[in-house]
Amino acid sequence: MNKKLIIVAAFLLFQFSFSSCNAVEPDEILNNTQQENRARDISKNIRCMVCQNQSIDDSSAPLAKDLRVLIRSKIKKGDKDEDIYKFLSDRYGDFILLKPPLKLGTVFLWFSPAILFLIGIFVIIKHNNKAKVD
Amino acid sequence: MKISKLPYLFFLLILLIFFYLLIIERNPSKIPSALLNKSVPLFETESLIKNEKFISSEIFDNQTIIVNFFATWCKPCRDEHDYIKRFANEKNLKVVGINYKDKPELAIEWLNNLGNPYSNIGLDKNGKIAINWGVYGIPETFLVNSKGVIKYRHVGQITKKVYKEINLIIAAGINDE
Repeated sequence: MNKKLIIVAAFLLFQFSFSSCNAVEPDEILNNTQQENRARDISKNIRCMVCQNQSIDDSSAPLAKDLRVLIRSKIKKGDKDEDIYKFLSDRYGDFILLKPPLKLGTVFLWFSPAILFLIGIFVIIKHNNKAKVD
Repeated sequence: MKISKLPYLFFLLILLIFFYLLIIERNPSKIPSALLNKSVPLFETESLIKNEKFISSEIFDNQTIIVNFFATWCKPCRDEHDYIKRFANEKNLKVVGINYKDKPELAIEWLNNLGNPYSNIGLDKNGKIAINWGVYGIPETFLVNSKGVIKYRHVGQITKKVYKEINLIIAAGINDE
């Protein structure tokens, strides 16, 4: 019993030690905390094009670092968040945004879960009605 | 049709869709360039082989140009170098290189050993030019038409298949419009 508990504890510790780490290096961090927080928020929404399933905030790929530095220099220059997102998606496409924008081409992507949910409800109601009749 | 057959048909349909996605040649990690059919980004930098500034508006003149991002530390760049040379020597195309995050002296040595197909080479020491071109993994190769518009982009090594594909695209014409 005790052995099991230790294994579970070790596992949890291992998990948390990973979830709290990030790739931002000390030399990148801006002195202005407000600007730094903005940079972190943007970085969390930008896909690392090299690893593709990570944000550049999590990734230690060299390109991710370059983009983090670029975002910070743009914030320092006074660019707005929208300008920075646009700068990046103009060059790398919407794919670089971890959250796809709502456009004509992505309507299905955004609304298909709701539509499928409604179809599911419909099927259940239909099925129940049938069961009652039977 | 009896309603009870519907779930089976639905299941079969899903199977067919998965099977179709399995057999077609597709690579979901390949990302289309956002710069296709857009003008080449403007930039200025140092030239590796010439004693003058590398000014993009002067480099992209009225001819079809191949732009190749490369570095000496990149193995696939070395592997594709023969095809880059064939573009310049056999197809008589103007090939422009962008040397990505590299040491100039290593690049010059590399070109002395392997041959230099590039008419000019711009230095991208900190990777900023590459970001402006939407580059995310070198080698990357772009095809720019005589109007300075990007018509094709390939991420990764140029293989025999890609070499043929690029030649077919050029032969089909990329300058009309």
